[in-house]
Amino acid sequence: MAQLLEQFINGLVLGGIYALIAVGYTMVYGIIQLINFAHGEIFMFGAYLALMLITVFNIPFWIALPASMLLCALLGMLIDLVAYRPLRDAPRLSALITAIGISLVLQNLARMIWSARPRLFPTETLPAFLVSEVNMQTGEILNAIPLPGGGILPYRDVFILLLAVVLMIGLNRLIYLTKIGKAMRACAQNRVASNLMGIKTNQVIAVTFAIGSALGAIAGIMVGLSENITPTMGYYKGVAAFAAAVLGGIGNITGAMLGGIIIGLAEVFGAGYISSGYRLAIAYIIMIAVIVIRPSGLFGKSTGTRA
Amino acid sequence: MKDKLTRKNIILGLLICFLPLLMYGIDDIVDFLSRYDIYLGWPGGEYMLRIIVRAGVYMLLAVGLNIVCGFTGLLDLGYVCFYLIGGYTAGILMARLGVSYWIALPLAVLHGTVWGLLRGAPTLRLTGDYFAIVTFGFAELFFRIIRNEQWLVGAPNGQLRGIPAPTFFGITFNQNWHNYYHILILLTLVIFITYRLQHSRVGRAWVAIREDEQAAESMGINVSRYKSLAFAVSAAIGALGGGFIAQFQVSISVPFFDFWESILILCMVVLGGMGSIRGAMIGAAILGSLGEVLRPGFIIPYQFGNARYLIFGIILILLMRFRPSGLSLKKA
Repeated sequence: MAQLLEQFINGLVLGGIYALIAVGYTMVYGIIQLINFAHGEIFMFGAYLALMLITVFNIPFWIALPASMLLCALLGMLIDLVAYRPLRDAPRLSALITAIGISLVLQNLARMIWSARPRLFPTETLPAFLVSEVNMQTGEILNAIPLPGGGILPYRDVFILLLAVVLMIGLNRLIYLTKIGKAMRACAQNRVASNLMGIKTNQVIAVTFAIGSALGAIAGIMVGLSENITPTMGYYKGVAAFAAAVLGGIGNITGAMLGGIIIGLAEVFGAGYISSGYRLAIAYIIMIAVIVIRPSGLFGKSTGTRA
Repeated sequence: MKDKLTRKNIILGLLICFLPLLMYGIDDIVDFLSRYDIYLGWPGGEYMLRIIVRAGVYMLLAVGLNIVCGFTGLLDLGYVCFYLIGGYTAGILMARLGVSYWIALPLAVLHGTVWGLLRGAPTLRLTGDYFAIVTFGFAELFFRIIRNEQWLVGAPNGQLRGIPAPTFFGITFNQNWHNYYHILILLTLVIFITYRLQHSRVGRAWVAIREDEQAAESMGINVSRYKSLAFAVSAAIGALGGGFIAQFQVSISVPFFDFWESILILCMVVLGGMGSIRGAMIGAAILGSLGEVLRPGFIIPYQFGNARYLIFGIILILLMRFRPSGLSLKKA
């Protein structure tokens, strides 16, 4: 029972991270109908940039976090400007292949800059409450809430979950209450008509990339708090997050959040109770099943087969 | 492209037929010159032949992928799964069950075809991005099954060792030049079949589906049937390549069949110009040999790892931006 609770919390935390990444996929898809394969790589860059800011430039964690988000937002906008914007009116396949190309470039660039060696944030550079441990001699639990049944809930996980929830609510408010949010929704409905109504669509798309990339970056840092940072993390986590976006109905932001939680829980429970070797396979199976059975996702409007 | 016995074609044909002889001949010349202290940067005929054979396999795969990507216009991001199925079917049959290559290869092709149809069936009504994602997911699933199911392969991580070379009336085909002619025959066969298909009713139906699926359907083309046929033929070719590479490599493991391999083959097709058999082959020849040159430790330092993929990525981006029709002359 204690294990079940702990697994559940782990699933929620992973799900929160997936939700943060999935939102980036879904927002871009909603507006320009492009599967931004490079988004997973931006997420990976977020973790590496923060790591570099902290370890190389000795910048405190609380400044490195927004700095990395900002850099990734710029990276996302740059990618859009250089690679996707010239292809707005080209066949969809061209943009998709370009996205794969960018993903290849970024992933291998990361490997060249930071090497393939797995890295962690050095614990002494992190805020104290994010480093939880159990003292084996005294049985004292540091920076964690003891759970009934013997497990622990690290403050770190609480922090990740709270941050994810706050960011999600913030994004939701942004989309539904602000002018730029309204412009984004208009572009998602009909880009050409929005342009005719005087909305600067290219700017709106750039802002979408920036927001998605910043959220991806923060997700990358959150992953880095508990797992290794590797050049391939963007690929693995990115695909699972994409599965979350598909599950929630691609283009649907609330759906992406819920999809992230479902995929996170399914992955943790699947790894715990079925087989850890098929950890990621569970996300793939859910993704294939959703696309084949109900392409509009769990929460999307049924629009038949999306081209 | 009717039979043209021009001088250029005859020379090219002779070159292809006697390439191993040429390679060994250069070996002799280099050997001879080295006696007079003249050293050329020649890596050796056997090595060159191995690269050429591997490029031949890539040509085979590129021609196979071109059927789905180029002719029917669907983006297949998991083509490597048929390569993997072919490789492991033939490999397991030969190394673990002692089946002859001449039986294992057709079985591998058959197995690949079956999976091509099975994968294709639920994706028939999907187009574009969704099709790409499903193919990608399928390839990753197969990759994981081979990696995790030790009882199937007999070793962790899909390490299948000791795949025997094919024998024929007591002759063992284990030399590099054997493999050269072997892949040459397979490639010729595959090109002949795809070329005939492309210029038949079937090929025209595929192109019609690519251009406008609904229009094709309303003109009486059975879209599901022709798409399934494309999936089956493409999968069969992929599995054929896998069956060949299993005996050529002697041992295979999963990293050989990862997602980036799919992307590499896609890159070849895109470079050559989607929808052109000749383009796919040229793309495969260029990237296949370029990939060999850019392997870690040759020009690029080891610590950079697979930096060749960085270059492939740049090629993809630049091509899509400036020349979506690839190297082929046809303007897209």
